Amino acid sequence: MGKYEWRLIVVLTVICVLSGGVLGWVNSLTAPAIAEQEKLAKQRALQEALPMATEFAAEPAILPELVSKDRTRVAEVYRAYSEDKPQGYVVIVEARGYAGPIRMAVGVTAEGNLAALAVISQSETPGLGAEIKNKSFLTQPAFRRAKVGTELAVKKDRGEVDAVSSATISSRAVVRGVNAALTAAQVLLERDQTSGGDHID
Amino acid sequence: MTRWQIFKNGVFNENPIFRLVLGMCSTLAVTTAVVNGIGMGIATTFVLTGSNVIIALLRNIIPKEIRIPAYVVVIATFTTIVDKTMAATMPDLHRVLGIFIPLIVVNCIVLARAEAFASKHSIVESAFDGLGMGMGFTLALTLLSLIRELLGTGTLLKASDFGFDGFSFFPDALGVKLLVLPPGAFITLGLLLAGINWFVARKGEKSHD
Repeated sequence: MGKYEWRLIVVLTVICVLSGGVLGWVNSLTAPAIAEQEKLAKQRALQEALPMATEFAAEPAILPELVSKDRTRVAEVYRAYSEDKPQGYVVIVEARGYAGPIRMAVGVTAEGNLAALAVISQSETPGLGAEIKNKSFLTQPAFRRAKVGTELAVKKDRGEVDAVSSATISSRAVVRGVNAALTAAQVLLERDQTSGGDHID
Repeated sequence: MTRWQIFKNGVFNENPIFRLVLGMCSTLAVTTAVVNGIGMGIATTFVLTGSNVIIALLRNIIPKEIRIPAYVVVIATFTTIVDKTMAATMPDLHRVLGIFIPLIVVNCIVLARAEAFASKHSIVESAFDGLGMGMGFTLALTLLSLIRELLGTGTLLKASDFGFDGFSFFPDALGVKLLVLPPGAFITLGLLLAGINWFVARKGEKSHD
Protein backbone atom coordinates (compact mmCIF):
# COMPACT_ATOMS: atom_id res chain seq x y z
CA MET A 1 0.00 0.00 0.00
CA GLY A 2 1.14 3.49 -0.79
CA LYS A 3 1.57 6.37 1.57
CA TYR A 4 -1.80 7.85 0.66
CA GLU A 5 -3.71 4.66 1.52
CA TRP A 6 -2.01 4.56 4.90
CA ARG A 7 -3.12 8.12 5.47
CA LEU A 8 -6.77 7.13 4.85
CA ILE A 9 -6.53 4.36 7.43
CA VAL A 10 -4.76 6.49 10.02
CA VAL A 11 -7.10 9.49 9.71
CA LEU A 12 -10.30 7.45 9.98
CA THR A 13 -8.90 5.38 12.85
CA VAL A 14 -7.85 8.49 14.77
CA ILE A 15 -11.30 10.07 14.26
CA CYS A 16 -13.03 6.92 15.52
CA VAL A 17 -10.72 6.60 18.53
CA LEU A 18 -11.23 10.26 19.48
CA SER A 19 -14.98 9.87 19.08
CA GLY A 20 -14.92 6.77 21.28
CA GLY A 21 -12.92 8.61 23.92
CA VAL A 22 -15.32 11.57 23.96
CA LEU A 23 -18.35 9.29 24.17
CA GLY A 24 -16.81 7.28 27.01
CA TRP A 25 -16.19 10.49 28.90
CA VAL A 26 -19.73 11.78 28.29
CA ASN A 27 -21.15 8.42 29.35
CA SER A 28 -19.19 8.41 32.60
CA LEU A 29 -20.59 11.88 33.35
CA THR A 30 -24.21 11.13 32.50
CA ALA A 31 -24.69 7.45 33.43
CA PRO A 32 -25.15 7.99 37.19
CA ALA A 33 -27.61 10.84 36.58
CA ILE A 34 -29.60 8.77 34.06
CA ALA A 35 -29.83 5.82 36.47
CA GLU A 36 -30.94 8.21 39.22
CA GLN A 37 -33.64 9.73 36.96
CA GLU A 38 -34.97 6.29 36.05
CA LYS A 39 -35.17 5.32 39.72
CA LEU A 40 -36.99 8.57 40.53
CA ALA A 41 -39.47 8.08 37.69
CA LYS A 42 -40.30 4.58 38.87
CA GLN A 43 -40.62 5.68 42.50
CA ARG A 44 -42.99 8.45 41.37
CA ALA A 45 -45.13 5.98 39.42
CA LEU A 46 -45.32 3.57 42.38
CA GLN A 47 -46.29 6.41 44.68
CA GLU A 48 -48.93 7.62 42.25
CA ALA A 49 -50.43 4.14 41.90
CA LEU A 50 -50.75 3.60 45.66
CA PRO A 51 -50.63 6.99 47.40
CA MET A 52 -51.16 5.66 50.94
CA ALA A 53 -47.97 3.60 50.92
CA THR A 54 -44.54 4.98 51.68
CA GLU A 55 -42.28 2.00 51.00
CA PHE A 56 -42.19 -0.45 48.17
CA ALA A 57 -40.41 -3.78 48.17
CA ALA A 58 -39.95 -5.76 44.98
CA GLU A 59 -41.62 -9.14 45.11
CA PRO A 60 -39.28 -11.50 43.31
CA ALA A 61 -41.74 -14.32 42.71
CA ILE A 62 -43.63 -13.25 39.62
CA LEU A 63 -46.46 -15.59 38.92
CA PRO A 64 -45.39 -17.60 35.90
CA GLU A 65 -48.90 -18.17 34.52
CA LEU A 66 -49.46 -14.40 34.40
CA VAL A 67 -46.19 -13.29 32.95
CA SER A 68 -47.30 -13.14 29.35
CA LYS A 69 -50.81 -13.54 28.02
CA ASP A 70 -52.89 -11.85 25.35
CA ARG A 71 -50.17 -9.29 24.44
CA THR A 72 -50.06 -8.28 28.09
CA ARG A 73 -47.25 -8.92 30.53
CA VAL A 74 -46.86 -8.62 34.27
CA ALA A 75 -43.39 -7.09 34.48
CA GLU A 76 -42.84 -6.47 38.17
CA VAL A 77 -44.74 -6.77 41.43
CA TYR A 78 -44.15 -4.62 44.50
CA ARG A 79 -45.47 -5.03 48.00
CA ALA A 80 -46.38 -1.70 49.51
CA TYR A 81 -46.06 -0.69 53.16
CA SER A 82 -46.44 2.32 55.33
CA GLU A 83 -44.77 2.11 58.74
CA ASP A 84 -44.32 -1.67 58.26
CA LYS A 85 -48.04 -2.22 57.76
CA PRO A 86 -48.91 -3.88 54.46
CA GLN A 87 -50.93 -1.55 52.26
CA GLY A 88 -51.34 -3.68 49.19
CA TYR A 89 -49.49 -4.16 45.94
CA VAL A 90 -48.33 -2.24 42.94
CA VAL A 91 -48.22 -4.32 39.78
CA ILE A 92 -46.25 -3.03 36.82
CA VAL A 93 -47.76 -4.30 33.60
CA GLU A 94 -46.97 -3.90 29.93
CA ALA A 95 -49.77 -4.15 27.39
CA ARG A 96 -49.32 -3.87 23.66
CA GLY A 97 -51.18 -0.77 22.46
CA TYR A 98 -51.56 0.68 18.99
CA ALA A 99 -47.98 1.82 18.48
CA GLY A 100 -46.02 -0.07 21.11
CA PRO A 101 -46.05 -1.30 24.70
CA ILE A 102 -47.90 0.75 27.29
CA ARG A 103 -46.18 0.39 30.66
CA MET A 104 -48.31 1.14 33.69
CA ALA A 105 -48.23 0.91 37.45
CA VAL A 106 -51.47 -0.40 38.94
CA GLY A 107 -52.03 0.03 42.66
CA VAL A 108 -54.22 -2.46 44.53
CA THR A 109 -55.06 -1.95 48.21
CA ALA A 110 -54.80 -4.67 50.86
CA GLU A 111 -58.60 -5.00 50.62
CA GLY A 112 -58.29 -5.77 46.92
CA ASN A 113 -59.61 -2.48 45.53
CA LEU A 114 -57.96 -0.75 42.65
CA ALA A 115 -56.27 2.35 44.08
CA ALA A 116 -54.97 4.24 41.06
CA LEU A 117 -53.27 3.87 37.69
CA ALA A 118 -50.14 5.58 36.46
CA VAL A 119 -48.79 5.35 32.92
CA ILE A 120 -45.01 5.03 33.08
CA SER A 121 -44.24 5.02 29.37
CA GLN A 122 -46.13 4.72 26.10
CA SER A 123 -45.63 5.58 22.44
CA GLU A 124 -49.23 5.96 21.25
CA THR A 125 -50.26 8.54 18.68
CA PRO A 126 -50.12 12.04 20.16
CA GLY A 127 -53.57 13.59 20.28
CA LEU A 128 -55.27 10.19 20.00
CA GLY A 129 -54.01 7.11 21.82
CA ALA A 130 -51.59 9.15 23.93
CA GLU A 131 -54.63 10.68 25.65
CA ILE A 132 -54.81 7.52 27.79
CA LYS A 133 -52.34 9.37 30.02
CA ASN A 134 -55.06 11.88 30.88
CA LYS A 135 -56.49 11.97 34.37
CA SER A 136 -60.04 12.09 32.99
CA PHE A 137 -59.52 8.64 31.47
CA LEU A 138 -57.43 7.03 34.23
CA THR A 139 -59.62 8.19 37.13
CA GLN A 140 -63.02 7.40 35.62
CA PRO A 141 -65.59 5.63 37.84
CA ALA A 142 -65.22 2.27 36.11
CA PHE A 143 -61.56 2.13 37.19
CA ARG A 144 -62.21 3.61 40.62
CA ARG A 145 -64.85 0.99 41.35
CA ALA A 146 -62.77 -1.93 40.07
CA LYS A 147 -61.53 -4.54 42.48
CA VAL A 148 -59.92 -7.95 42.50
CA GLY A 149 -62.17 -10.37 40.67
CA THR A 150 -63.71 -7.84 38.28
CA GLU A 151 -63.01 -8.24 34.60
CA LEU A 152 -63.08 -4.81 32.98
CA ALA A 153 -63.92 -4.06 29.37
CA VAL A 154 -64.49 -0.95 27.27
CA LYS A 155 -68.04 0.05 26.39
CA LYS A 156 -67.62 -1.16 22.83
CA ASP A 157 -66.98 -4.64 24.25
CA ARG A 158 -70.06 -4.32 26.49
CA GLY A 159 -68.03 -3.20 29.49
CA GLU A 160 -68.13 -0.08 31.61
CA VAL A 161 -64.90 1.67 30.71
CA ASP A 162 -65.28 4.86 28.68
CA ALA A 163 -62.63 4.55 25.96
CA VAL A 164 -60.66 7.58 24.78
CA SER A 165 -62.50 8.84 21.70
CA SER A 166 -61.14 7.35 18.47
CA ALA A 167 -58.56 5.38 20.44
CA THR A 168 -60.25 2.08 21.25
CA ILE A 169 -57.12 0.00 20.69
CA SER A 170 -55.08 2.02 23.18
CA SER A 171 -57.95 2.04 25.68
CA ARG A 172 -58.38 -1.72 25.36
CA ALA A 173 -54.66 -2.17 26.05
CA VAL A 174 -54.97 -0.20 29.30
CA VAL A 175 -57.97 -2.33 30.28
CA ARG A 176 -56.05 -5.54 29.53
CA GLY A 177 -53.19 -4.25 31.66
CA VAL A 178 -55.51 -3.46 34.55
CA ASN A 179 -57.13 -6.90 34.30
CA ALA A 180 -53.73 -8.61 34.34
CA ALA A 181 -52.69 -6.52 37.36
CA LEU A 182 -55.90 -7.36 39.23
CA THR A 183 -55.40 -11.07 38.57
CA ALA A 184 -51.82 -10.87 39.81
CA ALA A 185 -52.98 -9.02 42.92
CA GLN A 186 -55.66 -11.64 43.51
CA VAL A 187 -53.14 -14.47 43.47
CA LEU A 188 -50.89 -12.55 45.88
CA LEU A 189 -53.80 -11.70 48.19
CA GLU A 190 -54.91 -15.33 48.38
CA ARG A 191 -51.38 -16.48 48.98
CA ASP A 192 -50.87 -13.91 51.77
CA GLN A 193 -54.15 -14.83 53.45
CA THR A 194 -53.24 -18.52 53.66
CA SER A 195 -49.76 -17.75 54.98
CA GLY A 196 -51.13 -15.24 57.48
CA GLY A 197 -49.83 -12.07 55.92
CA ASP A 198 -46.37 -10.88 55.12
CA HIS A 199 -44.30 -8.27 56.93
CA ILE A 200 -41.00 -6.59 56.39
CA ASP A 201 -38.54 -8.10 58.85
CA MET B 1 -21.11 36.53 2.48
CA THR B 2 -20.94 38.11 5.89
CA ARG B 3 -21.62 35.98 8.96
CA TRP B 4 -25.01 37.55 9.40
CA GLN B 5 -25.88 36.76 5.78
CA ILE B 6 -24.82 33.13 6.30
CA PHE B 7 -27.11 32.94 9.32
CA LYS B 8 -30.04 34.56 7.49
CA ASN B 9 -29.51 32.31 4.50
CA GLY B 10 -30.16 29.24 6.68
CA VAL B 11 -33.28 30.73 8.21
CA PHE B 12 -34.94 32.10 5.05
CA ASN B 13 -33.40 31.74 1.57
CA GLU B 14 -32.27 28.16 2.10
CA ASN B 15 -34.59 27.11 4.92
CA PRO B 16 -33.89 23.37 5.35
CA ILE B 17 -37.55 22.36 5.32
CA PHE B 18 -39.33 24.93 3.15
CA ARG B 19 -36.60 25.62 0.60
CA LEU B 20 -34.23 22.62 0.63
CA VAL B 21 -36.91 20.08 1.67
CA LEU B 22 -34.38 18.06 3.69
CA GLY B 23 -34.75 16.14 6.93
CA MET B 24 -38.36 15.21 6.27
CA CYS B 25 -38.51 12.06 8.42
CA SER B 26 -38.11 13.78 11.75
CA THR B 27 -40.09 16.79 10.51
CA LEU B 28 -43.17 14.75 9.73
CA ALA B 29 -42.88 12.56 12.82
CA VAL B 30 -42.34 15.03 15.67
CA THR B 31 -44.54 17.97 14.67
CA THR B 32 -47.67 16.75 16.45
CA ALA B 33 -47.12 19.17 19.34
CA VAL B 34 -45.31 22.51 19.58
CA VAL B 35 -43.22 21.38 22.55
CA ASN B 36 -41.90 18.40 20.58
CA GLY B 37 -41.16 20.58 17.55
CA ILE B 38 -39.15 23.10 19.53
CA GLY B 39 -37.29 20.39 21.47
CA MET B 40 -36.33 18.56 18.28
CA GLY B 41 -35.31 21.85 16.64
CA ILE B 42 -32.97 22.78 19.47
CA ALA B 43 -31.43 19.29 19.63
CA THR B 44 -30.83 19.32 15.86
CA THR B 45 -29.36 22.84 16.02
CA PHE B 46 -26.82 21.64 18.57
CA VAL B 47 -25.79 18.65 16.45
CA LEU B 48 -25.64 20.77 13.27
CA THR B 49 -23.50 23.49 14.81
CA GLY B 50 -21.21 21.04 16.61
CA SER B 51 -20.63 18.82 13.59
CA ASN B 52 -20.19 21.83 11.28
CA VAL B 53 -17.46 23.26 13.54
CA ILE B 54 -15.56 19.97 13.89
CA ILE B 55 -15.82 19.19 10.18
CA ALA B 56 -14.61 22.70 9.25
CA LEU B 57 -11.73 22.23 11.68
CA LEU B 58 -10.77 18.91 10.07
CA ARG B 59 -11.55 19.92 6.47
CA ASN B 60 -7.89 19.95 5.37
CA ILE B 61 -7.03 16.75 7.21
CA ILE B 62 -9.83 14.43 6.06
CA PRO B 63 -9.00 12.89 2.65
CA LYS B 64 -11.77 13.07 0.05
CA GLU B 65 -12.28 9.27 -0.16
CA ILE B 66 -13.19 8.81 3.50
CA ARG B 67 -15.01 12.08 4.09
CA ILE B 68 -18.50 10.52 4.33
CA PRO B 69 -17.63 7.93 7.03
CA ALA B 70 -15.66 10.60 8.87
CA TYR B 71 -18.63 13.00 8.79
CA VAL B 72 -21.02 10.28 9.93
CA VAL B 73 -18.78 9.45 12.93
CA VAL B 74 -18.62 13.13 13.93
CA ILE B 75 -22.39 13.57 13.55
CA ALA B 76 -23.17 10.35 15.44
CA THR B 77 -20.87 11.47 18.27
CA PHE B 78 -22.71 14.76 18.69
CA THR B 79 -26.08 13.05 18.48
CA THR B 80 -25.12 10.62 21.23
CA ILE B 81 -23.90 13.51 23.39
CA VAL B 82 -27.29 15.23 22.98
CA ASP B 83 -29.13 11.99 23.72
CA LYS B 84 -27.18 11.23 26.91
CA THR B 85 -27.17 14.80 28.18
CA MET B 86 -30.88 15.15 27.62
CA ALA B 87 -31.64 11.85 29.38
CA ALA B 88 -29.57 12.95 32.37
CA THR B 89 -30.82 16.53 32.70
CA MET B 90 -34.25 16.74 31.01
CA PRO B 91 -35.83 13.30 31.46
CA ASP B 92 -39.34 14.56 30.65
CA LEU B 93 -38.35 16.00 27.28
CA HIS B 94 -36.24 12.92 26.66
CA ARG B 95 -39.22 10.67 27.27
CA VAL B 96 -41.15 12.54 24.56
CA LEU B 97 -38.36 12.86 22.00
CA GLY B 98 -36.47 9.72 23.02
CA ILE B 99 -37.17 7.76 19.86
CA PHE B 100 -36.44 10.68 17.52
CA ILE B 101 -33.12 11.91 18.94
CA PRO B 102 -31.01 9.02 17.60
CA LEU B 103 -32.59 9.72 14.20
CA ILE B 104 -30.78 13.06 14.00
CA VAL B 105 -27.86 10.97 12.72
CA VAL B 106 -29.77 10.23 9.54
CA ASN B 107 -31.27 13.70 9.20
CA CYS B 108 -30.05 14.63 5.72
CA ILE B 109 -29.74 18.30 6.59
CA VAL B 110 -26.83 17.60 8.96
CA LEU B 111 -24.83 15.59 6.44
CA ALA B 112 -25.81 18.01 3.65
CA ARG B 113 -24.37 21.02 5.51
CA ALA B 114 -21.21 19.07 6.35
CA GLU B 115 -20.69 18.23 2.68
CA ALA B 116 -21.97 21.42 1.05
CA PHE B 117 -20.76 24.04 3.51
CA ALA B 118 -18.52 23.03 6.42
CA SER B 119 -16.04 21.14 4.25
CA LYS B 120 -15.38 24.33 2.23
CA HIS B 121 -15.59 27.14 4.79
CA SER B 122 -13.86 28.42 7.92
CA ILE B 123 -14.80 27.31 11.42
CA VAL B 124 -16.61 30.54 12.29
CA GLU B 125 -18.57 30.63 9.02
CA SER B 126 -19.54 26.99 9.51
CA ALA B 127 -20.73 27.71 13.04
CA PHE B 128 -22.97 30.49 11.73
CA ASP B 129 -24.26 28.22 8.98
CA GLY B 130 -25.09 25.54 11.57
CA LEU B 131 -26.86 28.05 13.82
CA GLY B 132 -28.79 29.57 10.91
CA MET B 133 -29.84 26.24 9.44
CA GLY B 134 -30.77 25.00 12.94
CA MET B 135 -32.81 28.13 13.56
CA GLY B 136 -34.55 27.74 10.19
CA PHE B 137 -35.27 24.09 10.98
CA THR B 138 -36.62 24.98 14.44
CA LEU B 139 -38.85 27.77 13.06
CA ALA B 140 -40.25 25.49 10.38
CA LEU B 141 -40.94 22.69 12.89
CA THR B 142 -42.62 25.18 15.22
CA LEU B 143 -44.84 26.53 12.44
CA LEU B 144 -45.87 23.04 11.31
CA SER B 145 -46.56 21.79 14.84
CA LEU B 146 -48.44 25.00 15.69
CA ILE B 147 -50.94 24.33 12.91
CA ARG B 148 -51.21 20.61 13.60
CA GLU B 149 -51.58 20.88 17.37
CA LEU B 150 -54.01 23.79 17.32
CA LEU B 151 -56.35 22.46 14.63
CA GLY B 152 -55.90 18.81 15.57
CA THR B 153 -56.44 18.94 19.32
CA GLY B 154 -57.59 22.49 20.11
CA THR B 155 -54.67 23.16 22.45
CA LEU B 156 -51.33 24.88 22.20
CA LEU B 157 -48.10 24.11 24.07
CA LYS B 158 -49.68 21.13 25.75
CA ALA B 159 -47.04 19.04 27.51
CA SER B 160 -48.71 16.53 29.79
CA ASP B 161 -45.37 14.85 30.50
CA PHE B 162 -44.30 18.08 32.17
CA GLY B 163 -47.63 18.44 33.99
CA PHE B 164 -48.56 21.46 31.86
CA ASP B 165 -51.95 21.37 30.18
CA GLY B 166 -51.24 24.16 27.70
CA PHE B 167 -53.76 26.65 26.40
CA SER B 168 -57.07 25.22 25.31
CA PHE B 169 -58.92 26.99 22.49
CA PHE B 170 -61.71 24.55 21.77
CA PRO B 171 -62.69 21.09 23.05
CA ASP B 172 -60.56 18.17 21.92
CA ALA B 173 -63.58 16.44 20.36
CA LEU B 174 -63.86 19.21 17.73
CA GLY B 175 -60.24 18.83 16.64
CA VAL B 176 -59.45 17.59 13.14
CA LYS B 177 -57.83 14.31 14.23
CA LEU B 178 -56.44 13.75 10.76
CA LEU B 179 -53.96 16.55 11.34
CA VAL B 180 -52.19 14.84 14.24
CA LEU B 181 -51.97 11.58 12.28
CA PRO B 182 -49.22 10.96 9.70
CA PRO B 183 -51.34 12.00 6.66
CA GLY B 184 -51.96 15.34 8.39
CA ALA B 185 -48.21 15.91 8.47
CA PHE B 186 -47.94 15.50 4.70
CA ILE B 187 -51.02 17.63 4.00
CA THR B 188 -49.93 20.48 6.28
CA LEU B 189 -46.37 20.44 4.92
CA GLY B 190 -47.66 20.35 1.33
CA LEU B 191 -49.96 23.32 1.82
CA LEU B 192 -47.25 25.31 3.58
CA LEU B 193 -44.73 24.53 0.84
CA ALA B 194 -47.23 25.55 -1.84
CA GLY B 195 -47.99 28.79 -0.02
CA ILE B 196 -44.32 29.67 0.43
CA ASN B 197 -43.43 28.80 -3.17
CA TRP B 198 -46.34 30.93 -4.40
CA PHE B 199 -45.18 33.82 -2.23
CA VAL B 200 -41.56 33.53 -3.38
CA ALA B 201 -42.57 33.24 -7.05
CA ARG B 202 -44.77 36.31 -6.83
CA LYS B 203 -42.02 38.29 -5.15
CA GLY B 204 -39.62 37.16 -7.88
CA GLU B 205 -41.98 38.30 -10.65
CA LYS B 206 -42.40 41.69 -9.09
CA SER B 207 -38.69 42.29 -8.82
CA HIS B 208 -38.33 41.44 -12.53
CA ASP B 209 -40.80 44.15 -13.56
